[in-house]
Amino acid sequence: MKIITIILLAWMSISQVGQETYVCKNAKVNIYSSAPIEDIEATANTGVSVYNSATGELAFSVPIRAFHFPKSLMEEHFNENYMESEKYPKASFKGKIQEHIDVSKDGTYPVTVVGDFEVHGVKQNRTIKGNLKVVNGVVTMSSEFMVKCVDHHIEIPQIVFHHIAESIRVRVSATYMVYKK
Amino acid sequence: MKRIITVTLIFIATIQFAKAQQTDSLLNAISTDNKHQDVLGAFKATRLILSPTTATIQKNNLNVLIVHRFGDIASPNTGAQTLYGLDRVQDVYIGLEYGLSNNLNVNFGRSTIGELLEVGLKYAVVHQSTDNTSPVAITLLGDYGVNVFNYYGNPVKNRSSYLGQAIISRKFSSNFSLQVSPIFLSTNTALPNYLSQDHQIFALSGAARLKITKRMSIVVDYEHPLSAYNTNKANGFVNPLGFGIEVETGGHVFTLNITNAKSISEINSLNLSNSSYGRGEYRIGFTISRIFDFNKHQNNYK
Repeated sequence: MKIITIILLAWMSISQVGQETYVCKNAKVNIYSSAPIEDIEATANTGVSVYNSATGELAFSVPIRAFHFPKSLMEEHFNENYMESEKYPKASFKGKIQEHIDVSKDGTYPVTVVGDFEVHGVKQNRTIKGNLKVVNGVVTMSSEFMVKCVDHHIEIPQIVFHHIAESIRVRVSATYMVYKK
Repeated sequence: MKRIITVTLIFIATIQFAKAQQTDSLLNAISTDNKHQDVLGAFKATRLILSPTTATIQKNNLNVLIVHRFGDIASPNTGAQTLYGLDRVQDVYIGLEYGLSNNLNVNFGRSTIGELLEVGLKYAVVHQSTDNTSPVAITLLGDYGVNVFNYYGNPVKNRSSYLGQAIISRKFSSNFSLQVSPIFLSTNTALPNYLSQDHQIFALSGAARLKITKRMSIVVDYEHPLSAYNTNKANGFVNPLGFGIEVETGGHVFTLNITNAKSISEINSLNLSNSSYGRGEYRIGFTISRIFDFNKHQNNYK
């Protein structure tokens, strides 16, 4: 009987893998800098994310080269001078949703995510607020937060100080699918 | 009983840990790691000191070039007397380069020396890729030049020059780029206008860029014409060689350089460079490149 219990527990634990894993391959990440001389905005549509609804684990990753700017020169400077995308090709987040969300029920849930946010090779422990929505069983997440360039050792030279903001607004949105092997 | 519970808990914990690992590996697995990407910024400007680079102006962007060459720094009767050549402007080149597409540019330029007007097309055939499927970038350049004022009563045909060039570059590391270009130049009336002067010249040019800070680089540029006239030392031709510092500030690229060549356009410098470092005939020069972007701002998120 005891052995059966163990096996059952173990089996349940294993069988849950896959059922509760959600993936998104086209997460949208938008960055926006507002400075006295100009506002600069770029969007990447090829971010990826994995969400485990049982453990609350949430991971995001976006290639720096995926950010596209309206001005091609900005894109080159962004990659070459600021993000150094050859050295640090990705920005990522790995953390955990603090609240327990029952994704089987439709609704909008405000969530708080705590974890490591890595940009330009510098990790910061961040607490980020966002929203998790379940509509007809489809999970979507969105968040808006600020990132200080200084926190990630991204230097802004004096000469372009009025062109680039010290804090960049980041908006993330992702629509998930149940992960099937 | 206790032991069994402990074992069970450890077992579950292990599985949970495995699942945590799974989130990581799953993230890596679904990341479309696009290794095949164009290498960015082998050269920051479309022009170094003497040579054009593999870089092209992007679509709907206009590059305005202002290039200066001053007088000799150290030949007789120069030095402090001419403020190290700054009083004597040898050549000024005003150029416009427009991106018809990201890979195709139309160029226009005018030089003081020979009142040379140039029209050209530049086309980036191959881009260097991050996965080395293409280890180099290749850009082709075709140029037509005409000395607009009627030298020696020559008809337009005789005042025309044609230049074809293949520029091959490679960014070896984030700090070092090198380029080599085979050049063919045909000048109907070559300057200096000697009987022995070749009208058709094959030449090679080489240039390198070494980044010393995020926005500053050292550049070296060299031209080597292979014609009989140019290689015969008795004719006094000296191969152009330049050294410079390139500074990038936003939409500007500024190059401050020292070269022996007086002329800026390749059509001129491949034919008539006779200034020598050994005789103090080297000069200060600069290039200002400013890019104007005519693409509309589009806010694709709001």
